[in-house]
Amino acid sequence: MTGARALIAIVLALAALLLGRPAAAHQATIAVLEFREMRPGAYIGRWTTLPKDGVNRIDLKMPPHCFLRLPELNCGDKGLVGQMTIANLGEDMSAAIIRVTSLAGETRSYTISASNPVVTVLGTDAPTLDTWLELAKTYVNLGIDHILLGADHLLFVLGLIWIVQGGWRLLKTITSFTIGHSASLAATAFGWIGVAEAPLNACIALSIVFVGVEIIKQQRGETGLTARYPWAVAFSFGLVHGIGFASALAGLGLERRILPAALLFFNVGVEIGQILFVLLVLALIWAHRRLGAALPRWGAEWPAYAIGSVSMFWFLGRLARVLAAA
Amino acid sequence: MSRLLRTALLAAVLLAQAQIADAHIVSARLGDFYAGALHPLLTMQDVVVWIALGLLAGSLGAAGGRWLVMVFPLGLCAGLAFAVGSGVAPASPLVDAATILVLGLLLAAALRIPVTLLSAIALLLGVIRGAANAGELGPQSDRLLYAAGLAAAGYVTITLVMALALTLRRPETEPVSSWRGIAVRAVGGWVAAIGLMMAGLSLAP
Repeated sequence: MTGARALIAIVLALAALLLGRPAAAHQATIAVLEFREMRPGAYIGRWTTLPKDGVNRIDLKMPPHCFLRLPELNCGDKGLVGQMTIANLGEDMSAAIIRVTSLAGETRSYTISASNPVVTVLGTDAPTLDTWLELAKTYVNLGIDHILLGADHLLFVLGLIWIVQGGWRLLKTITSFTIGHSASLAATAFGWIGVAEAPLNACIALSIVFVGVEIIKQQRGETGLTARYPWAVAFSFGLVHGIGFASALAGLGLERRILPAALLFFNVGVEIGQILFVLLVLALIWAHRRLGAALPRWGAEWPAYAIGSVSMFWFLGRLARVLAAA
Repeated sequence: MSRLLRTALLAAVLLAQAQIADAHIVSARLGDFYAGALHPLLTMQDVVVWIALGLLAGSLGAAGGRWLVMVFPLGLCAGLAFAVGSGVAPASPLVDAATILVLGLLLAAALRIPVTLLSAIALLLGVIRGAANAGELGPQSDRLLYAAGLAAAGYVTITLVMALALTLRRPETEPVSSWRGIAVRAVGGWVAAIGLMMAGLSLAP
């Protein structure tokens, strides 16, 4: 697995560089706009979470029959039905949530993101095929974004690949991780379980520390827990990471009737991203083996120490937040 | 070097990077990381040069190619740093075309290039393409993330292309006159033709 070591050394060197960058809070990149129907077709709206770059920068377009001049929104007899668009979402604001509360008191939420700048507001009729397709597009993309931007999740998967070293054991391990995070993602999204985000993030970092220690054990010829029962470790920590995935959906305030579908599509997106990452890592391991590009013997343990150091750094930072909030 | 010293050195390097302890990178500005990674992969000059360089290195055998795994991404970072530091992001269509032409000719001629020279060529090309990619850095861009993305894309592309070329060409066991060797040389001819066309276009009034 010398190829993998060389690969991980390079990846970790990049990760160490990224560590030094200040990071804005996830919540700060999502703006929330709420509309309340005051009489049929007429709404009053306000930003409950302001866009990071200010309200004026947001290029919000409502359905053509609607007239918008905040705080007023007038859609006439048709009501608020049709497409809403924000075309200029980007790196400084990843998504905007629009909540619409009808006269009857029912609240619906719509998420507009840079990858899906258009959402369709449904009437009270049953959803159509187009609606489902749009829902799939939105949440599959959201899932892919979430996993590909989640360096901690990817680092954990990278550690598993290193320990398990490929083949059927890797397939079983990754499948176990998938089952674990899918189960806890669903349980959290449906509100069956709930964990505060700050301690959860600390636990996720700790799971990567664990993987780093397991790699060192393996290199010293010891048989660690992950080497013996990789599927069990992957499943257990998958449960933790799945709750973390759910935090991406938690703030969206999804309608109950679309929650199962949104959850399914989001999870499909997460799996697509995860499979792409695993395939890329396996391809690079193969390439390193083919080229004979390996770390020198004296540097063989550096990647594992780097995994441990990076994740412990994350853990301490997150633990400090937990303690500060307590 | 003792294990303790190595560990301490690594920890010092990591801690030297430490700023704000917020590492759930879902929240970080990884938009710039992916911008750095994807921009060259969507630019023809980069795609052609990177693939041609990988094919050239891979066709020379594993011993020649393995150094490029480190050298080429380092060259990209050095070029980007130079361009950012000097405030100059050189972009010359004629230089791009000449680079592609020379790489294509080297590939087509199946020359046995020494490892040192190949590494020097890779470093130089990395510096040139790294500097060229600095043109996409906006005032709001996070330069470190962009550089990390650029280096990651360079590393992944060059490593995979070299390994594929090595697998296809089998330079250790087959002569350049084998059909595999001829196929790789033919690709070199196409690359050279692309360089010629680009040179013609850049010189056209």
